[in-house]
Parts: sequence; C-alpha cells; structure tokens
Amino acid sequence: MASADKLINTDVPEKDVFALHFLQSLSNLKTQNPLNSPAKSIDRVRKIKKAAYVSMARAAGGTSRLWSRALLRRAAKDDNKSVRFSRRKRKVTWKISSKRRKSNNQRAPVVEEAAERLRNLVPGGGGMETSKLMEETAHYIKCLSMQVKVMQCLVDGLSQK
Amino acid sequence: MDNELFMNTEFPPPPEMATHFEPPPSSSSAMMLNWALMDPNPPQDSSFLWEKSTEQQQQQSIFDSALSSLVSSPTPSNSNFSGGGGDGFLIRELIGKLGNIGNNNNNSGEIYGTPMSRSASCYATPMSSPPPPTNTNSQMMMNRTTPLTEFSADPGFAERAARFSCFGSRSFNGRTNTNLPINNGNNIINNSGKLTRVSSTPALKALISPEVAPGGEFSRKRKSVPKGKSKENPISTASPSPSFSKTAEKKEEWGGKGSKSSEEKGGKRRREEEDEDEGEGEGEGNKNNNTKPPEPPKDYIHVRARRGQATDSHSLAERVRREKIGERMKLLQDLVPGCNKVTGKALMLDEIINYVQSLQRQVEFLSMKLSSVNDTRLDFNVDALVSKDVMIPSSNNRLPEEGLQSKSSSHHHQQQQLQQLNIYNNDNAQLLSNNMMLQSPMNSLETSTLARGFTHLPTLTQFTDSISQYQMFSEEDLQSLVGMGVALNPNNESQHMKIEL
Repeated sequence: MASADKLINTDVPEKDVFALHFLQSLSNLKTQNPLNSPAKSIDRVRKIKKAAYVSMARAAGGTSRLWSRALLRRAAKDDNKSVRFSRRKRKVTWKISSKRRKSNNQRAPVVEEAAERLRNLVPGGGGMETSKLMEETAHYIKCLSMQVKVMQCLVDGLSQK
Repeated sequence: MDNELFMNTEFPPPPEMATHFEPPPSSSSAMMLNWALMDPNPPQDSSFLWEKSTEQQQQQSIFDSALSSLVSSPTPSNSNFSGGGGDGFLIRELIGKLGNIGNNNNNSGEIYGTPMSRSASCYATPMSSPPPPTNTNSQMMMNRTTPLTEFSADPGFAERAARFSCFGSRSFNGRTNTNLPINNGNNIINNSGKLTRVSSTPALKALISPEVAPGGEFSRKRKSVPKGKSKENPISTASPSPSFSKTAEKKEEWGGKGSKSSEEKGGKRRREEEDEDEGEGEGEGNKNNNTKPPEPPKDYIHVRARRGQATDSHSLAERVRREKIGERMKLLQDLVPGCNKVTGKALMLDEIINYVQSLQRQVEFLSMKLSSVNDTRLDFNVDALVSKDVMIPSSNNRLPEEGLQSKSSSHHHQQQQLQQLNIYNNDNAQLLSNNMMLQSPMNSLETSTLARGFTHLPTLTQFTDSISQYQMFSEEDLQSLVGMGVALNPNNESQHMKIEL
C-alpha cells in the first residue's frame, strides 16, 4: 500500500554516467584481454555485451533496483565471484505454477501470460509481483534505451573514422 | 401474558402523533358505511364491534406494513407461495383439515360450499368468538365474510392503511383501551369454542407445518405475526379469542397488501394455518418475539452483503492490484513508443515486450559492432580515458584485477598526449569551442557522479581535466559521444536506431 501511494520513481541518471561506466567497463575488458590477443570474436562480443549490461546496472543505481541487482548477481555468478547484497533476502518466485495458472486463467489469462514473458525478459523478473514487474520494467527500459544510445554514439563515432 | 404486556410496552406510541389522532376514526367510519351498504343484515352490536376491530385492523395492518417493509423479502416469497398452482392442492388439503375444526365449531356447512365460502373459512374459525351469544356462528359468519373479503380484496384499503401507517402505531393505545371492555364482554362465552380449536390444532400443526413452512420466509412471517398479536393481547387479556380473530383479519389485510387481490385466497389459507399454529403456541409466539427484533438488522446486513462483493477483502486486494498494474502500465505506455495507439493491457504488454526485446537485441548488435571496431580505435581511447589515475581508484573498488592494467596503459598515455598535442595544434579554435561546449555536460557529470556517491574520486578538477583531455584527444573519433552529452538530438538517435535495426 505504501509503495502504491509513493510516487513511482523511474528517474534515470544522465547519459554521461552510462557512458562513463560503459567506457570504464570496456577498458576493463580491454585490460583483461590485451590488445593483440587473438580472442574469439564471439567470446568478445559476449564480453562486451556483458560489460554493457553490467555498466548499465551500475550506472542505474547498483543494487537499489531489482533488475540491476539481478544483473550484477548474474554477472558475479558468471565470474565465479560471490557477491553479497545487503538486505532483501527474499526468495520468492512469481512464475506461475500449474495451480496458479488455472486460477489466473479465470481472470486475465492473456495479461498474465504476457507478464510471464516479460518476467523472462527483465532480469530478476521471476521474483517480482506483477505491479512491481511493471515498475522495474519501466526503469529497465529507460536504462536500456539510454545504454543503447550510448553504444550507438560510440559505434557511430568509431566507425566514422 | 405478562410477556405480551411487556412486548406492548416495548412499542410505546410516539407522543408527537397525538395531534394526528383524528384521521383514522373518520376513515374507519367511512369503511363502516361501506360495510353497512354491503351488508344485507348488519347486526348492531357486531357492527359496532366491527368498527372497533377494523380500527384495530387498520392499526395492525399498519403495523404489519411497517413490518413487511422491514422484512422486505417475505412479500415476494409470499406471492410465490400463494400464487403457485401447486399450492391450491395444499390449500385444499389444509382446508380439509380445517374442516374438522369447523365441525367442532358447528360451521362446517357454510364453509366448504364455494370458493367464496372457502375463503371465508378463515374468518369462520376466528370470527366464531366475537359475536354475542344470541347470534349463531353461521349467521355471523355470513354477515362478516362479505364485507371482509371485499375489505381485504380492496387494494385501495391497503393504500389507505399505508397512508395511515404513521397514525396507526401511535393511536394504538388509546384506541385499544376503548375496545377492551367490549371484547371482554363479547367473547367470554366463546372461549370454549376456541379451546376446542386449540386442542385440535397440535395434530393439525404436525400435519401442516412440514408441508407449509419449509422456507425461512414463512417462519419469518410467523414471527412477525405474534408480535402484532402480542401487542394486541394485553388489551383483551381476559379472552384470547378476539385478539385471535383480529390477527386473522389483520393478516389478511397484510397479505392483500403484499400480494394483491388475485392471490388472496391462497394467502388467506396459508395465514389461516399460521393462525392455527399461533393459536396452538402462545409461548412460541413469545419466544419468536424475542427473535424478531434482530431481523431488520439482518436485512441491512443482507444489503451490505450484496454490495459486499466489492468490500470483500479478496476483491478489494484484487482491485488494488489491478489499479497498481494499470498505473504502471500507463507509465510504461509513455516510455514505449507506439504504445499509445494500442488499446488493451495484453496488447500493450506485447508492445512492451517487443520493445524490451528490440532494445536487448540492439545492445547485442551494438556490442558486436563495438567488438569489431574495438581493435582499431576504441582500445586506445578507452585506455586513454581509464589510464588516468582518476578512474582507477573507483575501478579498483569494483574490480580488483583492473589495477594491474593501469601500468600497462601508461605507454598509451604518452601516445595519447602526443596525439592530443597534435589535435591541439591542428584545430585550436575547434577545440576551444569544444571545451566550451563541454562545460555543461561536465557539470552535470560532476553533480550526477557526486549524487551517485563516488566520493572516492580524487578531486573534481582532476576528474574534469581527465575528461577534457580525453575529449580533446578523441574529439574526432567520439564526436558523437561528446555531442550526446552536450546537445543530444533525439531525432538523430531514433534515426540511428532505425538504421541499426
């Protein structure tokens, strides 16, 4: 109730922040893979992508958001690092079980199904209640579009030369 | 009897109605005139009694109208009960049973001949008591039945009674006091007849009640009846039978009001049975009196329950949830392009999903592009940016292995400074303008980074120096990157996106 009354805050930091974080993580990537090392292109793409997402998550407020938290956790898991986040020890899965699906079919099957698909798209969406999922999705979309713009600018700037 | 008296005290006449005391008598006298016209042979004493009793009937009916308005449901159910074709059989059966009673009272001949007389049967049994001993029961009955059926069949009477509903309850006490001696005088004699009837009723009730009173409405009405009766009874405490007859009449009026004249016969018969039940159990009536008062509240609760579908905790929570989702949907609608044209949550969600997917695909695609570009230019640029000791502490905090690389990028730093000088020489003016342009994004960057909590940054000036150096250096390469901070053109961005897609 309290969260419903609160104004939904989906403010996203400036683009510079995204750019900085992304460049920083790119440099990290670069330092991990020295300049002339013959890395596989696919692996490289994957790493850049991951760098993009992680930098986005960092820029968008670190662990204050559920999706960024989930992204960072996933990244940390990939790196075999144990990352401990404060608070939020919830382990709830909102994926529809067969029993719930039956009940949901009665009221709004299409919406719930779409929400389910959205849960798969938004990082950490499996643990979100539908309204929370919407909120997180809004923030995620903002950040993602910002990130896309940053990357677009980078690509444009680099490919123009 | 004491209980009944007590019940009477529970309904004291409101004092303000003493002013409106007059209208009922006049109307009742008019009624009396009607009856006098209708009645071929009106016995004087009985007519007088009639006047009194009809006044009481009015009051009673008024009471009952109030009751029925409180207990709203019984009337429709009543109509169902008496209106149904199947009830005729039941009623006939009951009449047959009543016939036995009538035989006890020597009324059998007149009662069963015609439907009219059958309808009169209900009067016959109760009305056997009021008349003076000189009249035979049958004659009295004939005298009474015609006006009474008329009376009860008259829908206008119901309206009149409803009109007087405000008076009835209040003038009740004064009126009944006048009745008291008459009733007593008239009815002592017929107590015996009443007694026989009462004695006959238990068996009858045992037969009737399971068939007749299966529904709650019926029992509710039964409850309502003894109330009126108990109100009346204290007046004629000496003889219960007149009050009995009055209840019968009163019930008829009530039924005529509720279910109009067409269904009256069935309703009468049913009420007759009720009457039998009550005549049999006065104690039961008292008991029912206790249960009666909670009924109007029950009605209220029923209404609340009907609305309660909305106030039910589950549906409330569901509504809140839906509102929340809708609110956020609106938020998303503003964010996702092309979502305004779509109506419906599901379609909107589809749009949102598509948008998120497209964004994710764009990120993938761009990262692919970057990886291809990275080798040539970006390595240098990024290293140049990061190699500044400004950025290293923060990166050290996050990724420890990164600190090693700062040394390796030192040679890049030299290169970068060389290039920087070149750029500086080549297009000085452009650089200056660029720096000017850079001021605003830098400020925003500072504030935002401060807000983000990057307190570990050495100094802001150093930071901006590094940034400016980086931007001077990469001015050609990352012009668009810089430009996006300074003056971002959304149209360009969208065009880029479309090109990429």
